[in-house]
Amino acid sequence: MNLSNVRKVFQKEIRETLRDRRTLLIMLVLPVFLYPALMVLVQQLVLIGRRSLEEQPVSVSVSGASEPAFAYLAGDSALKVARAAAPDPALLETGGADAVVRFSPADSASQSQAVLVYFDASRDRSRRAREVVTDRLEQWGDSVLANRLRAQGLPRSFATPLAVADTSVASAERLGGYALGRFLPPLLIIMTLLGAFFPAIDLTAGEKERGTLETLLTTPVPAREIVAGKFLTVCATAMTTALLNMVSMLLTFQSGVFQLTHATDLNFSIPLATGGLVILLMLPLAVFFAAIALGIAVRAQSFKEAQNHLTPMQFATIVPMYLPMIPGISLSYPVALVPIGGIAVLFRELMGGSVAAGPAVVAVGAMIVYAVLALRFAAKMFGREEVLFGGASGSKEAAGFGERVKAWRGSVQEVPRPSESLALVGLVGLLYFYLGIRLQITGLEQGLFAAQWLLLGLPAVLFATLGPYRTRATLALRAPAPRSLLAAALIMVGGVPVGWGLGWLQGLFLDIPEDFLKMFQQLLTADTPGRFAWLILLIAITPAICEELVFRGVLLQGLSRELSMQKAVIGSALVFAAFHLSFETVIRFLPTFWLGLLMAYVVWHTRSLFASMLMHFINNATAVVLVTTTGLQAHIFGPTGAPRWIALAISAVCLVSGLYLLPRRRADGFGHDPTPAGAPAAAS
Amino acid sequence: MIVFDGLSKWYGDIAAVSDLSLRVPPGEVYALLGANGAGKTTALRCLATLLAPTGGTASVAGFDIRSDPLDVRRNLGFLAASMGLYQRLTPRELLHYFGGLQGIPDDQRGARVEDMISFFDLTSFADRLCGKLSTGQRQRVSIARAILHDPPALVLDEPTLGLDLLSGDVIYRFIDAVRARGRAVLFSTHQMSEVELLADRVGIIAGGRLVAEGTIEEILTQSGESNLAKAFLQIVREAA
Repeated sequence: MNLSNVRKVFQKEIRETLRDRRTLLIMLVLPVFLYPALMVLVQQLVLIGRRSLEEQPVSVSVSGASEPAFAYLAGDSALKVARAAAPDPALLETGGADAVVRFSPADSASQSQAVLVYFDASRDRSRRAREVVTDRLEQWGDSVLANRLRAQGLPRSFATPLAVADTSVASAERLGGYALGRFLPPLLIIMTLLGAFFPAIDLTAGEKERGTLETLLTTPVPAREIVAGKFLTVCATAMTTALLNMVSMLLTFQSGVFQLTHATDLNFSIPLATGGLVILLMLPLAVFFAAIALGIAVRAQSFKEAQNHLTPMQFATIVPMYLPMIPGISLSYPVALVPIGGIAVLFRELMGGSVAAGPAVVAVGAMIVYAVLALRFAAKMFGREEVLFGGASGSKEAAGFGERVKAWRGSVQEVPRPSESLALVGLVGLLYFYLGIRLQITGLEQGLFAAQWLLLGLPAVLFATLGPYRTRATLALRAPAPRSLLAAALIMVGGVPVGWGLGWLQGLFLDIPEDFLKMFQQLLTADTPGRFAWLILLIAITPAICEELVFRGVLLQGLSRELSMQKAVIGSALVFAAFHLSFETVIRFLPTFWLGLLMAYVVWHTRSLFASMLMHFINNATAVVLVTTTGLQAHIFGPTGAPRWIALAISAVCLVSGLYLLPRRRADGFGHDPTPAGAPAAAS
Repeated sequence: MIVFDGLSKWYGDIAAVSDLSLRVPPGEVYALLGANGAGKTTALRCLATLLAPTGGTASVAGFDIRSDPLDVRRNLGFLAASMGLYQRLTPRELLHYFGGLQGIPDDQRGARVEDMISFFDLTSFADRLCGKLSTGQRQRVSIARAILHDPPALVLDEPTLGLDLLSGDVIYRFIDAVRARGRAVLFSTHQMSEVELLADRVGIIAGGRLVAEGTIEEILTQSGESNLAKAFLQIVREAA
């Protein structure tokens, strides 16, 4: 790579970027001026609101109180007390009172009196009324107790045999760091994203729209050097934006404005070393955002289109970005692996002053890996001419939706395109979400049975038969050779224990919910032969048909049309695992992915869905048999729950034998023609 | 020398350019005519190595677009229909930038840029942002950018699009000048008058195929028409 060219592109892009008002606004003006002003404004508004709540007395309706108790409450200037004959909580609705207090008649035996405070938790004034009234009533109770003790000649301490108190050892700095760690990471991340967002669009789709990219690509500079220069520019703006935001925010906090207005006693400062580390860790984050934004934006033909393309990326960032704000989330190994989220939680731990070294290294390493993958994605996008020039004129985008559907219905295809297959899986996923869960809640096992057939199997069959495809090819309904079936069975018999092993390994990092295990065991336990037969039908046969039609049928066949074997197999397995993840629990992801890999690999080579139906049946039926036959479990699983070595060894032999026996096919497809009907040989 | 040798470009089952062969020797101006969507821009983009051909090949100054794309770009001045100027750079900055990317040595670049500014009379607006220039001024900057590295071959995609007569005249005089300096010029246009004014030879492209080629007189004779516009329509209709 010629670094001189990269430098020239970078320098030119930076110069243009610094002349772009929109970028300057987000990169410089927003953090330096607007942001501190906004923070102070919000803080002032909060103070004003709090004062108005505290200064105006809250109105309380009291019923059943003794004269002394009523007089005690009425004498408090924070309360405006009115006596009522009976408690009327409706006053809270009409605004007649902020709280309603009901004194029950005193119990003469216990000499205790119950007091109930009605309030409206959705109104600030009502919550304040409850706070004040409860406090005053406790004070009144204390004074009654004190009188009783005095009458008995007992000291006050008699009523408090154990005086409990607590005190936090955290310094004001540490508390400030803890508070900063909760809300600063999301802010830094969103600012890094915004810092990459507009430059990425301007340097790609913007260039296309203005026609400059075409000119640039006619210079004797390889595309990778142009991408590198643009990437460095986006990265630099993202980093600068985040850095300025952080500095500006810390300066705002340290200006003393909060202490001046007594808004808080916390000290919002971050040690220099921590700040430096956070900035350093933002680098992979900036690389990640810059590369992803460039890779996505370059696909668009205009600025507006690029904004639309990048919107999902913004949404996808929001969830992991807020991980540090979720109570109870700490930097464990699984959290460290979450893209963006892992680094966000690491920021929080750093600012709070306590970091676990292992997960921290994993979080940084994972983010670097994601950043490298994103860079590869961006470089790949720039290398595609249809991405740079939008393909042929009169492309599909020009046609209306109706025309496109008509064209789709009128086309003749061997199997669906990947996008069409994924659309079916998406539709099935939505159906399962909206109807399947409801069916399972109301119909229990029968509901699960109905959901599988009606929401998975039926849509797949309808899609393959009513769409412009060859049904048998789309569903891979090809009779397998006996050797293929034997190989498939051996591979699954060998693969199942490996799946258990993966599940066990995963359990070392992720807690398996007890409730889930119990529910799973209850579902799979057969105490009568009739129940066993039903479970085999429900758990083994039904998914083996319905799920296979969707995932190794429509999905795998569609992906195989345009993707290599590896990508199609891995892609279908990921979707299969994600489908189970969505509606069950995270612990099934890895084992399900593994099984999905095996089944897709076998179907790709045998070209027969019946092979994977057999495999799916073997896997699920094994679970039913094992749970029902507890004696068998002891032979297979050790005391820790991990599969015994002997079981793993036998399964390895089966797996290897199955793979050896499996008939291979060349990577020229299922007999599918990857090109559209009528395409010339030169174009294929 | 510009050579197209059986070049084809397919988008799926659509042929944008089909088996295109033509030659533009040094010192010749060749006009490529065709209706919108006929494949002119695709052919020129393939020559500029922006698009990879599906079949056949092309070369510039003896460098093949498939095997030596960077050498092709070094020897080609390409003017896109969109002009391609950076709105937030001045003409002087823009010429320095492209001069650097074209590999003009640092010690020669400044002088070369000033030559271009002087030759195309850009001095009065050389330090104004390109986004604030008129269409004619922008086109002059674009041409200066395209020939900054003094390439032996020039490709101009609709160079007078949107220009008034005065600005168009600057382009005509420029094309005459580079022809005189022995450069091969291939340009596409819809203006028959400028073809008659400038072109030594003409190629007519329809449905991605070259359906007629020759001097203007040969084209008129072939079609039996009295002027180029009628001849063009006749040939394109026959090819459809």
